[in-house]
Amino acid sequence: MSFLEVFQYTRKDSAIHHLDPRAKMLLSIVCAAVSLVFTDIFPLLMIFFCLLPLIAVAKSLRRWGRSMKGLSILLVFVIVFNTLLSPGANPFSHSIALTIRLVDLMTSFSLFFLTVHPDQLSQALIQMHVKFEFAFAMSMAMRLVPTLAQEAYAIMDAQKARGVELDKGNPVKRIRNIIPIIVPLIIVSIRKALSIAESMESRGFGASKKRTYMDKLKFRKRDWAVVMISLTMLIFVTYVRLYVPLPDWLFWSLPF
Amino acid sequence: MIMLDAIHFSYEGIYTALRGVSLQVDDGERVAIMGANGAGKTTLIKHMNGLLRPQSGKVFLDGRDTTSLSVAEMARTVGLVFQSPDHQLFLDSVYKEIAFGLRNLGLGDQEVEERCSKTMDTLGLKGLAERSPFALSGGERKRVALASVLVTEPKVLALDEPTIGQDAQQKEKLAELLMGLNQKGRTVIVVTHDIEFVIEHFPRTVAMANGKIVADGPTNSVLSSDRAIELCSLTYPQMTQAARALKHRFPQVTERLTSLAEMEETIMSILGGRRR
Repeated sequence: MSFLEVFQYTRKDSAIHHLDPRAKMLLSIVCAAVSLVFTDIFPLLMIFFCLLPLIAVAKSLRRWGRSMKGLSILLVFVIVFNTLLSPGANPFSHSIALTIRLVDLMTSFSLFFLTVHPDQLSQALIQMHVKFEFAFAMSMAMRLVPTLAQEAYAIMDAQKARGVELDKGNPVKRIRNIIPIIVPLIIVSIRKALSIAESMESRGFGASKKRTYMDKLKFRKRDWAVVMISLTMLIFVTYVRLYVPLPDWLFWSLPF
Repeated sequence: MIMLDAIHFSYEGIYTALRGVSLQVDDGERVAIMGANGAGKTTLIKHMNGLLRPQSGKVFLDGRDTTSLSVAEMARTVGLVFQSPDHQLFLDSVYKEIAFGLRNLGLGDQEVEERCSKTMDTLGLKGLAERSPFALSGGERKRVALASVLVTEPKVLALDEPTIGQDAQQKEKLAELLMGLNQKGRTVIVVTHDIEFVIEHFPRTVAMANGKIVADGPTNSVLSSDRAIELCSLTYPQMTQAARALKHRFPQVTERLTSLAEMEETIMSILGGRRR
């Protein structure tokens, strides 16, 4: 579960943390979009090496590294399955590229989720005219990620005590072993959601239609700068991809 | 026999839950572990089946060092029943849920069936065999979770807060069941705040506070010690309170009264000097 850490807010004092969440949202989406434009190893690696310094500026490299370590099993799965199932030429090379793309995407979004407090997120959504209930649900979901991770650990303990050996056996057995973890986790989360809803309603959630807010987000110069840079990057990359003949080495792939 | 030797455990180095705990529980004992919230009770019993490993100190099961044993191996000897049943129920019928542990042990169909029906009988779950565990009440789910551990017939049964959410009669039944298992030679360990439950059924009490054992001994002496009561954030058992009230009028009453039988005896002796 440790790969979820990369989507969990950490309180840090960094330039990225101080940006307006809306600017960061755009930055994240642009980074993700740019990763989706390419399907080859080199361009995707280049994007990766552009993203890494951003994570470093956000002072979160260590956490990011830990998450990637947790993710590595999944990445190996992606490579193996894609290689086996991909119909095109050079299936291995293709699945390596897709794996880098997955890492790019996760890193892009982690840039946002690592540095935006759940309350800031809901405030940003509200100021973007999203209905309060939806914004609240979003920030609630973010807020519950660590709680769910804890639940998951408790469930693993309970199942291990019944003799489930989570880290033994062949891959098929290991996948089957996920069932005793995932089913209680879903049920516990649904129960928890219902009880949160009940306790919120009993404390008068939604009683007054007009809400006021303590903090308002304000766009500053540096936020505009991030927006401008992001948009320019998006336009530039899209233009290059569509209209500029790129050199062959960019599309280099492994021979198998 | 379980032996914990100077166990030290802290959660990610942030929160120290156990500070050098040594405890020996012999075969066939009934032991209650009591203590305030956060005293380290659950952390302690999680060491008994290897879910947590001590950062220093050692755990011995029947004289064997458990460092190299897996949880699954230790779980055959020590059955741990958790506080929340929702953390372990995942199948679509009570019967399958109870049979799951046996299938993990690789038993044959016939034996699985026999053991399951026996366990369901003793826990009053017979009529619920085909029901979904998720559609049961909290107390019923708790009994299903208990059954799913009980059915593997571990030598030591450790229960975390088994009485929570059970009505008085179910509690009595649970006690009867635990006594019955104990008479068959099983060791029973409970973690609980339920002081009356402990007094009635557990001859030995271990009191914990701040990650240490502060008292360990016969229940009636541990639970009549002011210090243990204070450190475990308990209130005095009703019988002790009554004994103190009686003592004002009848100086011959001792304060160290905890069980109903002792109280009966004292009152009878005050009334007529005769014992029943």
